[in-house]
Amino acid sequence: MELDLDESSLAIGRIERALSRIEKALADRANRPESAVAAPAADQSALKAEVAAVIGELDRLIAEADRG
Amino acid sequence: MADVKLTIAGRPYDLHCEDGQESQLLQLADVVDEKARAMPGGTEVRQLLFAALMLADDAQEAKGKVEKAEPQSDSLRAAVALAESREAAARDELRAAMTREQSALKELETARQASSAAAPSAKPSHDRALLQIADRIEALAAKVEQLP
Repeated sequence: MELDLDESSLAIGRIERALSRIEKALADRANRPESAVAAPAADQSALKAEVAAVIGELDRLIAEADRG
Repeated sequence: MADVKLTIAGRPYDLHCEDGQESQLLQLADVVDEKARAMPGGTEVRQLLFAALMLADDAQEAKGKVEKAEPQSDSLRAAVALAESREAAARDELRAAMTREQSALKELETARQASSAAAPSAKPSHDRALLQIADRIEALAAKVEQLP
């Protein structure tokens, strides 16, 4: 997989930081006492769809890079 | 001319020959004399007749040996010709293989140059995709952080 070091390392750094933020937010949420107000179901499914789309995009990019 | 004195079957003979050929003539006379003496007790004519017959026999036998050897020599010549033609064919094949190898190397080099020329266009597209993914994951992080 050949990537330009500056551009790609910048993007990967941003991705890593964003994933850490998500991890932290989810851990905080799990440690909180039961929230009285749940997130609306529509928001939750939009979030899930976006996560699945991002994962799919990452998979596509990795497969493309593997093919060279 | 040289004078040579020969003795065959006990009788002396005076002969002439080219200068320098005396020893060869003496040697031939020895051969005839030896054959003539192999048949003792006969008249001189009979001794010479037998010597002539035995020498004719020797000559025929030698001729037979030469004729017998000729086919072998022909086979050897044929084998040499075959080996030479095979060597020439092998040399041609080697030359053709070298030509093929050179053209394959050229093709490889062309492909390598083409691939290195194409690579830069692929790289920015990967970088763009990574940056877009980074944007989307950051947006996701912001949404997750805002979850109630």
